[in-house]
Amino acid sequence: MKFNNKHLVLAMVALFVVSLALVGCGGGSGGGGGAAKPAEMLVIGSIQDMSGTTSVFGNAVTRGAEVAIEKLNAKGGINGKKIKLVTLDTKGDPKEAINAYNRLVDQEKAIAVLGPPISNIGLAIAPIANSKKVPVVGSFIDPRVTVGQDGKPQTAMFLMQPSSVQYAEIMAGYAVEKLGLKKIAIFYNQSNAYSVSLIKPFKEYAESLGAKIVIEEKYTKDDKDYKTQLAKIKESGADVLYAPNYTQELVILFKQRKQAGVNIPIVDGLDLAAPFAQNINDPEAADNAFFANNFSEKEPQLVEVRNAYKAKYNNEEPINKAYLGYDKIMLIAEAAKKMNSTKPEDLIKGLEQIKDMQGATGVITLSPKTHQPVGLSMVIFKMEKGKYIEVGRYVPEKHKKL
Amino acid sequence: MSIQQLLNGVSLGSVYALIAVGFALVFNILKFSNFAHGGVMTLTAYIGLAASLFFSRWLSGLPLFGATLVSAALAGAIVGIVLERMAFRRIRNNNSPVIYYFISSITMGILMENIVTIFASSTFYSYPKFFELSVVELFHVNIALTDLLMLVFSSTALMILLWVLYRTKIGLAIRALSFDVNTANLMGMDSNRVVMATFIAAGILGGVAGVFLGINYTLYPQLGQLIVKGFIASVIGGLGSITGAMIGAVLLGVLEVTLISAVGAGIAPVFVFIIMLTFLLVRPRGIAGVIVQEKA
Repeated sequence: MKFNNKHLVLAMVALFVVSLALVGCGGGSGGGGGAAKPAEMLVIGSIQDMSGTTSVFGNAVTRGAEVAIEKLNAKGGINGKKIKLVTLDTKGDPKEAINAYNRLVDQEKAIAVLGPPISNIGLAIAPIANSKKVPVVGSFIDPRVTVGQDGKPQTAMFLMQPSSVQYAEIMAGYAVEKLGLKKIAIFYNQSNAYSVSLIKPFKEYAESLGAKIVIEEKYTKDDKDYKTQLAKIKESGADVLYAPNYTQELVILFKQRKQAGVNIPIVDGLDLAAPFAQNINDPEAADNAFFANNFSEKEPQLVEVRNAYKAKYNNEEPINKAYLGYDKIMLIAEAAKKMNSTKPEDLIKGLEQIKDMQGATGVITLSPKTHQPVGLSMVIFKMEKGKYIEVGRYVPEKHKKL
Repeated sequence: MSIQQLLNGVSLGSVYALIAVGFALVFNILKFSNFAHGGVMTLTAYIGLAASLFFSRWLSGLPLFGATLVSAALAGAIVGIVLERMAFRRIRNNNSPVIYYFISSITMGILMENIVTIFASSTFYSYPKFFELSVVELFHVNIALTDLLMLVFSSTALMILLWVLYRTKIGLAIRALSFDVNTANLMGMDSNRVVMATFIAAGILGGVAGVFLGINYTLYPQLGQLIVKGFIASVIGGLGSITGAMIGAVLLGVLEVTLISAVGAGIAPVFVFIIMLTFLLVRPRGIAGVIVQEKA
């Protein structure tokens, strides 16, 4: 009996070693392809959620970025050097994201890192990125990610889509100015920096236009049942609901809005963009909503990227985050071209000088004072019985005066 | 508190009840908290989705829903058998300490979650729309149809379970085993078969719960983490007691809804955990008061 146990232990140790070796080989062969010519390849890192709850975004950003890299490499890469993308999985967890950033910078010698479209992670890596001085280009719209509390920009952090302030003002403006809805209910995930950052500027701008916030309800990350809050919103007599949350939570919200009998329109962010309506699987629940997206499906520069994407990925329809991933790579390439250098510190300087770059999502100018884009407008869409209707670009009154 | 909110609480409670009963069943016999049950719910919910897509070629509406539920329940039974053979039989035969069961169950839970992630990716999915009607309105109070169904199903499942436990031979065996394994073995009972039957029953409940959770809350690999709610409900109701778990679950649902409308969703979990801790400290046997001290 004793003898048997010993054998078992030995077998288990052997199994452990073998599996380690296999994993090692797996990683080795993956890296081996790149290791063939390490001198010429430039590494751009990417930290994305590839397997957690927001992995739809992470995968889209990665694929969009791969399309951009393929295009650049076909033309000779950045400053004569071919580039390769190394993506590490964060599982949507800020701790994993910090490890991933450090590994990309210290071991992979990445010249720049693509950030995820997740504000919590942006906030977590900002201090580390600032001290290591390898730029992070991301779509975390919480302005605290790019502008520190002292009002100065976070050295290495760059945002490439409208910040939450601009974004919230666009939605507040649309609800009040265009739709004329002045009794507003707010419902958001208070454990999510993205949602929280979209609340204050929305309230301020809506109230400045004469609207009233009649009720403000919250939930947290693990809540899956919103009927309690929805019942209170129904009682409040609000005529519009503003709910800037992540996609999956919004799918549940839309279904439960119908169940709770709350028949008021929802005004929201680009999380409602396709394939959101299909995900609800119920055209009657996917109804009566307005949202702002980064781009119009009809614009020619977008069509080009979309065709390249579909050709590369089995005819899969790209979601909006894919275009953001594409533009992130293009911004880094543009910065390298401007500085004629691929050193991370030069790229930071280059990114600050980006002006009128035609990206897939629009014409991008980055402000050196905020590291955020200037004057990007957004396109309003309406969701009706599971279908999307493009309403057109919209700029709130306040932004016109700037 | 309005009637609407009370109903919301009861319907939320019936979700928790479905989770808690499957959880309590295993605790009843093996005296450990089977966190693998979360994995069973996730896995079967995905199998249910696959089945619903498959059957939607021929069926729709209520028959499709029934087919989905039956497939998920069958899958749950099979997963229960595999789980028991793989994760727990050897531990039981070696008379190992309870902590081994616990570790094994958590490992299996994580394993199943990751299997789902690998095969179905971490994207979330929605079940097809089963019913034209999604809301029932009674006296100006809205009740979601799925909630109503869930309440009916979890009470029916409980009734059947109680009937099996108290009116059949296998039920008698399960109760005898939960009282004293060694004596039951000495009396010539095949404890393996009885434990297997328990896991099959828990698996079936897990399958039904998984489908309902998927319909209500969308499908994602971390769906099984709702097992924590089942655990809290079990603690409040009395670990190992099946009626206790049911009562605890409904109480938990009403409690959560009340707290959310009174203090907000941010602080509500704090109160829930304080209440759970109070129960663990003051009355560890919960409301039902089943004594399970020897091994817990």
